[in-house]
Amino acid sequence: MGRAPAYRSKRGRLHKLIEIVPHLVIALLLLFLVPLQPTYIQSLATKILIFAIFAMSLDLLIGYAGIMSLGHAAFFGTAGYAAGILVVRYGVDNVWLGLGFGILLATLVAAVFGIIALQARGIYSILITFALGQLLYSFATKWRSVTNGDYGLWGIPIPALGLSSFEWNGTCYYYFVFLTFLVCYFCLYRLVKSPFGKSLQGIREGESRMRALGYNIWLFKYVAFIIAGMFAGAAGVLYAYHSGIMTPGDLAVANSGFVMLMAIAGGVGTIYGPVIGAALIITIQYYASILTPNRWPLILGGVFVLTIMYARAGVGVYFFKLWKRVLGGWKF
Amino acid sequence: MPVGKLHLNRHTKSDLFAGVEPLVNIFLLNLLNAISYGAILFLLASGFSLIFGVMGVLNLSHGALYMVGAYVGWTIAVANGISFWLGALAGGLVAGLISLVMEAGFFRRLYKQLNEQMLLTFGFVYIIDNLARWIWGPSYRPPFTSPALSGSFDILGSKYPTVRIAIIFIGMVIALGLWWLQDKTRAGAMIRAGMDDKETAMALGINLPLVSTVAFFVGSFIAGFAGVIGAQVMGVYPEMSMTVMLLVLAVIIIGGVGSVQGTLVGAGILGAIDAFGKALFPDYAMFTVYLAMIIVLIIKPSGILGRQI
Repeated sequence: MGRAPAYRSKRGRLHKLIEIVPHLVIALLLLFLVPLQPTYIQSLATKILIFAIFAMSLDLLIGYAGIMSLGHAAFFGTAGYAAGILVVRYGVDNVWLGLGFGILLATLVAAVFGIIALQARGIYSILITFALGQLLYSFATKWRSVTNGDYGLWGIPIPALGLSSFEWNGTCYYYFVFLTFLVCYFCLYRLVKSPFGKSLQGIREGESRMRALGYNIWLFKYVAFIIAGMFAGAAGVLYAYHSGIMTPGDLAVANSGFVMLMAIAGGVGTIYGPVIGAALIITIQYYASILTPNRWPLILGGVFVLTIMYARAGVGVYFFKLWKRVLGGWKF
Repeated sequence: MPVGKLHLNRHTKSDLFAGVEPLVNIFLLNLLNAISYGAILFLLASGFSLIFGVMGVLNLSHGALYMVGAYVGWTIAVANGISFWLGALAGGLVAGLISLVMEAGFFRRLYKQLNEQMLLTFGFVYIIDNLARWIWGPSYRPPFTSPALSGSFDILGSKYPTVRIAIIFIGMVIALGLWWLQDKTRAGAMIRAGMDDKETAMALGINLPLVSTVAFFVGSFIAGFAGVIGAQVMGVYPEMSMTVMLLVLAVIIIGGVGSVQGTLVGAGILGAIDAFGKALFPDYAMFTVYLAMIIVLIIKPSGILGRQI
């Protein structure tokens, strides 16, 4: 292969720089600054990273495959419950087993739900995701002997890494979540840049055209649904260990809407957007619940409405464009 | 709050199994339960279906409007002791007014962006739920009704509450009214034209924005009204909006959206599944509903009498 023309490589370098610098800055901040902060900030950052994984997985559905889902919390909650039940009922506190079992179960649930939800089209498919999420919710409230019903499955400890002489604390768990986040981010980033991701976007933009080109639309959507469920499952397991309790509400539509807000507020159709969205919403949630614990849902609803009305493109996307303009102003 | 709060059989269960009664009797009582529950479900879902049919909006705040209607009815009928029927009307009116605010202030600006409109209604659920909790508090309000309906009467030797019969009657009247409106009136023709082909309907001079606003108001009014009617057996509690919303979706998925007949079929089937399911397998009643939904989805994804969307 010959060398690319000079102008292209220069623009390419600028392009790379535009992408890499914010990633690097945020990663370094997360790596070095957060662990020096007080415990509650660390805990907040852990929660943000967990929900960032969750929101990214939803973005794969909304932003890339063009599937609206109001039941995405089903996979998150299933995996969280799976890991929690493993610890609380069977005493298995190994994080790898928890992650593996949780993700496996979430993937299975996604595989079943995907068949049902993608059976219908458009608006019906949204209704079905909603209904299936609520099905698991009522299941979790009814199966009291295992899930503790409405009280929630409490007493989930921070897990063990499998090294016997290694004692975990909050900071270690933060690093573990951070690493998992990096892996998920990288995987999803590669996935949407891959031919598979491009095909998904093609289906989103023009389904009939892609069908005419010979693509198996259903299969692409189905695989995207399962992958999204898998990553949501990873987030769910991390969340169970982090919060120490799983409640039926974690499976329900309110949680699905919560993560949907993060994805949209940050900007769907980009993998970094939902991360920014998660940071934004979780931070607002944290301070709003301190300020007015009873009025937090009201504020959440307000943010929801304002986001849909005025910031549909996403705040993360807006920041990125701003940054691009700043950097684009420099001469290279 | 447990989903079991929606059990309609609570009142009659003791009558049902108190003595050794003939099977026919049990069947009849459950059938009446099924029809009265179906009537509530119909009231609930018909407004949703109307709004969806005309505007194409999946109004997820429909359950919240139902709840608000029920609370307003409670305030007027119980807290102030004025009149149950006035409470029912006021419940409908308040829900309708909220919908007008939502429409004029927000939906108009998101013209034709159906997903955004749906998400907007989802945001409103958080707001309405929290405001309702602020105003009426977190406690459960037991069922209430008009003094004239609070008794019971004998059917084949068993007592049956009068309210349920009244609910069946109200549901039938509204169903017939809506059916007549849909199939026999000019307004209904406009609505159907709007559902089938918006552009052509507008080109023919139909004021579709006005039709949408009216449909949204009427649909929400029915939701609020249904809240008070339903509160006669279900009561009111703060978390009910999503539970109720799920029932609406079940009716819509089973019967199909966009026509009175479809809603009627869905509500009837769901009512029957609920009443007989609770009598036969009391612990799994919630799951029988899902089973029905999934079966319908596999056989006919657009619902039994659904329009093609």
